[in-house]
Amino acid sequence: MSKKTIMLCCVAGMSTSLLVNKMKKAADAAGIEVNIFATSVSGFDEEINSKKIDCVLLGPQVSYMENELRDKLGNQDIPLRVISMADYGMMNGQKVLKEAVELMQ
Amino acid sequence: MTHKGIWQQFIDHFTRISIKIGNQIHLRSLRDAFAMVMPLFILAGLGVLINNVFFPLFLKSTTLINFQTFGNLIVNGTLNIAGLIIAPVIGYCLARNRHYKNPLGAAIVSLAGLIVVMPTTLQALPVAGKHTVEITGFLSYSNIGVTGMFAGIIVGLVASELFIKLSKIEKIKINLGENVPPAVSDSFLTLIPTIAVIALLAIISAILFVGFHTDLIKLITTIIQEPLRKVNTSLPGFLLIYTVGNLLFGFGIHQAVINGTLLDPVLLINTNKNMQAFASGEHVPYIITSVFRDTFGMMGGTGSTICLLVATFMFSRIKPSREVAKLSIVPGIFNINEPVIYGYPIVFNIPLLIPFVLTPVISLLIAYAATVLGFMNRTVVLVPWTTPPLINGFLATGGDWRAVVVQLISFTVGVLFYIPFMKISEQVILRQQKN
Repeated sequence: MSKKTIMLCCVAGMSTSLLVNKMKKAADAAGIEVNIFATSVSGFDEEINSKKIDCVLLGPQVSYMENELRDKLGNQDIPLRVISMADYGMMNGQKVLKEAVELMQ
Repeated sequence: MTHKGIWQQFIDHFTRISIKIGNQIHLRSLRDAFAMVMPLFILAGLGVLINNVFFPLFLKSTTLINFQTFGNLIVNGTLNIAGLIIAPVIGYCLARNRHYKNPLGAAIVSLAGLIVVMPTTLQALPVAGKHTVEITGFLSYSNIGVTGMFAGIIVGLVASELFIKLSKIEKIKINLGENVPPAVSDSFLTLIPTIAVIALLAIISAILFVGFHTDLIKLITTIIQEPLRKVNTSLPGFLLIYTVGNLLFGFGIHQAVINGTLLDPVLLINTNKNMQAFASGEHVPYIITSVFRDTFGMMGGTGSTICLLVATFMFSRIKPSREVAKLSIVPGIFNINEPVIYGYPIVFNIPLLIPFVLTPVISLLIAYAATVLGFMNRTVVLVPWTTPPLINGFLATGGDWRAVVVQLISFTVGVLFYIPFMKISEQVILRQQKN
């Protein structure tokens, strides 16, 4: 199985990058090989078109864009989920990573 | 109907309407376009800072003027072509949001369209002269720069929208047959829409020039830009829109949905005009600018939550709250506060929603009063919104230490204001735990 890529997305890609760091630590600790990165909603198109992405997670502050971004994924089989407010606030990298891994299975 | 039912209904309606506004395609394209060009304006801020604050520290008279050429050139490449840059970028963003496959085509039409509506003759003041003369064959910074920003936005949106619409009409596509290479026939696809859009703008402009001795830039500026800017950047208009945006964040949706569309464009025009005036040593026109809002109205992020963090460190007896505060303090210094908003949580937490929405209003009023009373300088430099509080106040006002004092006062008031509501919030949590 090739290395999977998870993309996190929020308004400016700033606060999701905090969560990315926590998720990377959790992945290292659990021995999971995975690429994780953060971007802004305006950078969404470019990333989707230029990289092979296996899972998209949205910050709760951009949950209102869920449908629109899902449309942009078209018929590609890429799971997209909004991170829960509680996990996002507590920057619970371990739990968010676990859910992402489940989504990609 | 129960009381809670009404509250829930309010939240649902409010959120739905806000999202509808924020997702409106032209407003969304506007927001995307501003995000794309923002680095240039931050660069302009840096140029202004070096030219007007740093160089004068150790240089004088002619040497100073010679050195300042550096910053003036940066201003030429940023603020002075703000309208020229925004037009194609917004055309590009609109095309992208409409899933149109040739966004660059839309950008080109927008740019060409903007130039078409420019006046053909200008009144100019010669370097050594006293009287203005009429010149032709030039574009002026005042039309393609900050003053022309709104015209750039409108022309960019109209031109690209028309272009996209026309491109989708099958009947006017030029079909060259199957033997022609696709790349060649693609270049013809957009030919008629391009001609039609540019021709239409040219006809309108020609009628305005010849028949009415005016131009589209002037009309857009006086009829649309200035009234809108005056309402949205007046003290009550500004505070009202900003508060609505912040309230939305209290319900979990990012405030940029409202503020990025209704407030940021006009506030940024104010910031840019201030920067330009400061750079050329003229009177700085505005108190309320985008950087004024960022510096005094969102210390530690939306809702000035750094005040809540400090209040928590001082007085909180609840362990999870203190944990969140510890987790949030470092990002908070850089004005990133999603951990506080979702983790504390502030979202849907009525006692904390009150200071979350009102602390920025109080801070902004303090800063506004301080500026009006002449206690501190107006904001003249665009600093990135991630610049930590106190440093951003100093830089934004062109190195005025009194702005830092104003920030410290606002911060102290903010902490005091957050404390009672934080206590109420903790009471609620403790009571819930007991039950």
